[in-house]
Amino acid sequence: MAPGFVAAGLLLVGIPIVIHILNRRRFKTVTWAAMEFLLRALKKNRRRLEFEQLILLVTRCLVLALLGLALARPVGCQNGALSMLGGHAGLSVIVIDNSYSMAYAVDRPDAKTHLDQAKKLAKGLIDQLSGGGEAVSIITTSPVARAVIEKPGYDLEAARQAVDRIQQAYGATDLAGAMQKALEIAERESRQPDKSLYLLTDATRSAWEGDQSTSLKQLGPELAKIYRVSHFNLSQGQNQWNQAVLQIRPKDNLVNTKFMAEFAADAKGFGAGPDSALEWSINDRPLQAGQPLKLDSDSAPSTGSYAFKSGGPQVVQATLAGKDPLPADNTRYRVIDVASELKVLIVEGKRGITPLEGSGAFLQVALAPTKDSGPGQAKSDSYVQPELISDLELGNKVLTNYSAVLLANVAQVPSTTAGQLEAFVKQGGTLMLFMGDLVNGDNYNKELLPRKLLPGPMVGPPVHSDEKGFFFDFKPKGVPHPYLGVFANQENSGLDTAQVFDYWRVEVPASSPVERVLNYQPAEGSKPGEKRLPDPAITVHSLELGRVLFFSTSANADWTTLPVRMAYVTLMQELLAGSVRPGDYWMNLSAGQSLEIPASIRLAGAPTLMDSAGQPVLMTSESRNGVAMYRSAPLERPGEYKLKTGTAEIPIAVNVPANEADVRTVPDEALKKALGDADIALHGAELPLQASLNQGGNDFGWKVMAFAVLTLLALECFMAMRFGHFRRSQVVRETV
Amino acid sequence: MIVFPGERRLPMTEIATDYRRYLDPRTLARINSLDLRARLIVEGLMTGMHRSPYQGISVEFAQHRQYVQGDDIRHVDWKVFGKTDKIYLKQYLEETNLHLICIVDASESMAFSSVGSGKQTWSKYDHATAIAASLSYMAIQQQDSVGLAIFDNDLKHFIKPSNTPGQWKILTHELTLVPRLKKTNTGRILDQLAEKLTHRSLIVLLSDFFDDLGSIKKGLRHLRFKKHEVMAFQILDPLEIEFPFEGTTLFKGLEELGELLTEPQALRAAYLHELQSFTADLRKLCRGMRVDFTRMNTADSLDVALSGFLATRAASIK
Repeated sequence: MAPGFVAAGLLLVGIPIVIHILNRRRFKTVTWAAMEFLLRALKKNRRRLEFEQLILLVTRCLVLALLGLALARPVGCQNGALSMLGGHAGLSVIVIDNSYSMAYAVDRPDAKTHLDQAKKLAKGLIDQLSGGGEAVSIITTSPVARAVIEKPGYDLEAARQAVDRIQQAYGATDLAGAMQKALEIAERESRQPDKSLYLLTDATRSAWEGDQSTSLKQLGPELAKIYRVSHFNLSQGQNQWNQAVLQIRPKDNLVNTKFMAEFAADAKGFGAGPDSALEWSINDRPLQAGQPLKLDSDSAPSTGSYAFKSGGPQVVQATLAGKDPLPADNTRYRVIDVASELKVLIVEGKRGITPLEGSGAFLQVALAPTKDSGPGQAKSDSYVQPELISDLELGNKVLTNYSAVLLANVAQVPSTTAGQLEAFVKQGGTLMLFMGDLVNGDNYNKELLPRKLLPGPMVGPPVHSDEKGFFFDFKPKGVPHPYLGVFANQENSGLDTAQVFDYWRVEVPASSPVERVLNYQPAEGSKPGEKRLPDPAITVHSLELGRVLFFSTSANADWTTLPVRMAYVTLMQELLAGSVRPGDYWMNLSAGQSLEIPASIRLAGAPTLMDSAGQPVLMTSESRNGVAMYRSAPLERPGEYKLKTGTAEIPIAVNVPANEADVRTVPDEALKKALGDADIALHGAELPLQASLNQGGNDFGWKVMAFAVLTLLALECFMAMRFGHFRRSQVVRETV
Repeated sequence: MIVFPGERRLPMTEIATDYRRYLDPRTLARINSLDLRARLIVEGLMTGMHRSPYQGISVEFAQHRQYVQGDDIRHVDWKVFGKTDKIYLKQYLEETNLHLICIVDASESMAFSSVGSGKQTWSKYDHATAIAASLSYMAIQQQDSVGLAIFDNDLKHFIKPSNTPGQWKILTHELTLVPRLKKTNTGRILDQLAEKLTHRSLIVLLSDFFDDLGSIKKGLRHLRFKKHEVMAFQILDPLEIEFPFEGTTLFKGLEELGELLTEPQALRAAYLHELQSFTADLRKLCRGMRVDFTRMNTADSLDVALSGFLATRAASIK
């Protein structure tokens, strides 16, 4: 709504009143003989006359007030219907890229960054529109496409203010989303005959040739059919460069307090930048002085290592020394949930009387090897804390207290237990299934397979071999599955020589996402050239947040000689560490994402989240399956946040999306190609002359105004005629 | 024939019809002398084939006169009509003892004028005096006695009826001199005159009748009671009849009726209704007492009034 027009309308209301008062002062004088009749007429009609005069005065005041209001286009009157009467309605959609790369600092007057320049351009475009006539919609692209003004408005001042309110985001560019929104707006405003789409971006590769390239190719021609598309390249003429730490990743899936943790940081340089140095720090404590690095887009990862003394979430930070035009991505944070104790539940289907007789006994020993210890001392140095129970006790356990549940030769899984296991896995738990002679394949197929807790249907009976046995298809020189990386190049690991006499065969569909960690060697007698996949020995697959690991033979020595080999301990440790989901999976976010606290996190009260500046961030809660789930507002700024759960303080890392660091731009021809060779007008970072933007021009605003004025004046004239003016038809000429 | 400066001299064949233009108030307004006005009016009305004494009904034929609307068709000369296909009336010399009394309203409201422009305006009073003078002239020419009464809220002048040649001069002189500044009181004046007039007379009442109807009724009834024949001419200005004003206007009432600032277009319908209602009541009142009533517009020709007078005079003699 344009308050200027409203004020003008209200001021104009006074005009008829002033005219009325002036008219009472300016009159002609007539000496009149038939005064008696005039007085008598006045006496009889005084009330009617006053009423009519009042109606006329009110109507005139309303005419002006409504005219002011109409021009102000208040809420509820902003559709294009009135504008259509003018015959030249117009729609301008301005897409402003506010992603992190637009924060690139340049030396321009009045515009420190690309975004500042884009806002300046947008306001310039708005200024060139016909006031009160053409409608404007504004869309931003980061962290997700969002319409700042979704319903095209005619209030250009409001549009300018909306542009001013656009903030620099630290997220990626959702250009395809923005274009989709522009398409939707055009479909809704199909009656607008003249449509223009202005794309204000820095033309970076990540935005135009990244993941969204397919969508852009499809959307480009569609938009060009509806809109007159113009692109403003904010980075044109700029020799852009940037250095950033794109990623920090631990070498192992599970970082624990027992082993030295190794980290790799992907520090890259885009464009011609100076040498830099990478500095590591843990929980804000610098680790080592950075070595000078010559960074480019193919730079190898820099590594660092650290032995964590305590468990729990801890922040690893890698920072590039020096300044560049985009400083926020020079530092990357990574929260690591260091495991000091990993509680696992081993469920035995077969209980043993003597040591190592139970079906899970070897597992318990492998995961937490015992040591000689005195009274009151820990029996194991392992960070894994296994708890061995029988299958009969499983139903009484709260599974969310454990990181992993291992079923070893459990005969049958009741339906309720299968449901609990499914929920456990979906919430991020790890289920490891070990076979044995007690396992009922039909029961597993019936209860676990539909819940996707098996890699495929189990085909019984178990495969049996003679004394020679089956062997794992493990080649030390080959490229092993990441879980088996520790065995790479180890000739005498024992993995390749362990015999398996019995195993359950599962049929893994070819298109299944199930990963084969280890296969069996093809059985003898297989015909040469037969393209039958070997039977899987170990598989792993994901189910929502958790993982399921299937071990086709026994966990003890009943069916295989593996448990008595040294490789068994390492294998079980690696399988567990590889498949257990680290607890920090929800603690590392990209800018623009919201923090969602998993249900497994115990809260002593309402959680509070503080940003890196110590300012609170809004948290909202909603009930999901009877459990209160907490979710924060989108975390806009990168940095280290603090989540207080009542009993603990958990660090939350928020980083700039890695692809925003690549500030290298695509040439103009590539922009057209990225939009499917659509017909678009290409401009630089400055506003060209209006004529080239708004071909054909339009003056519909004035026509609409004229129409409104004429309509209202016609109404006024009618009322004036009706309530007073001389009407020729009333002249009565008396015959003398 | 009278020729005014700047006027073209008419050919003899057009002279007869040319006299009729002196019945138009806009022409008469340019003539200052009342007696000249009256003569010209009568000339215009009596235009005939030859000059003749102006006669009414008699046993001795005097002249022919062209027929005008309102003339009694009993006097049409059908022989002439048969020969010439034109309607003429026969007029006769006659001896008569008719007393004509012209009563002229000289109140302030009669001064209202919108006809003509500048100094050559034609007020309601001008219209009334022109009629009174013309009728007097015609009557004196026929040896009738003519008297005059001029009134406003009082009887200002009363000239007894006489048929002497100097009577007409006296009458026209009085009509010219009377100022018009006061309110009217028609009923009382008529009462007074009814008492004064001893001889049965033909009374011509010239006024706008902007007065109380009850009072007027009382006065007329008194006159009729005394067996006088009465002819009432209501004289109104075209502005009073049409009320065509627009824009904010201050109406200053004559006869001490105050002022009114108003939007006249808004009051027009109501005003016209009031005027028509008053006129209708007055007409009805006159009809009830057998008084001839004629409403006159000062913008219209005067022959209607004169023809009506002649017809009434003829009827009264008969």
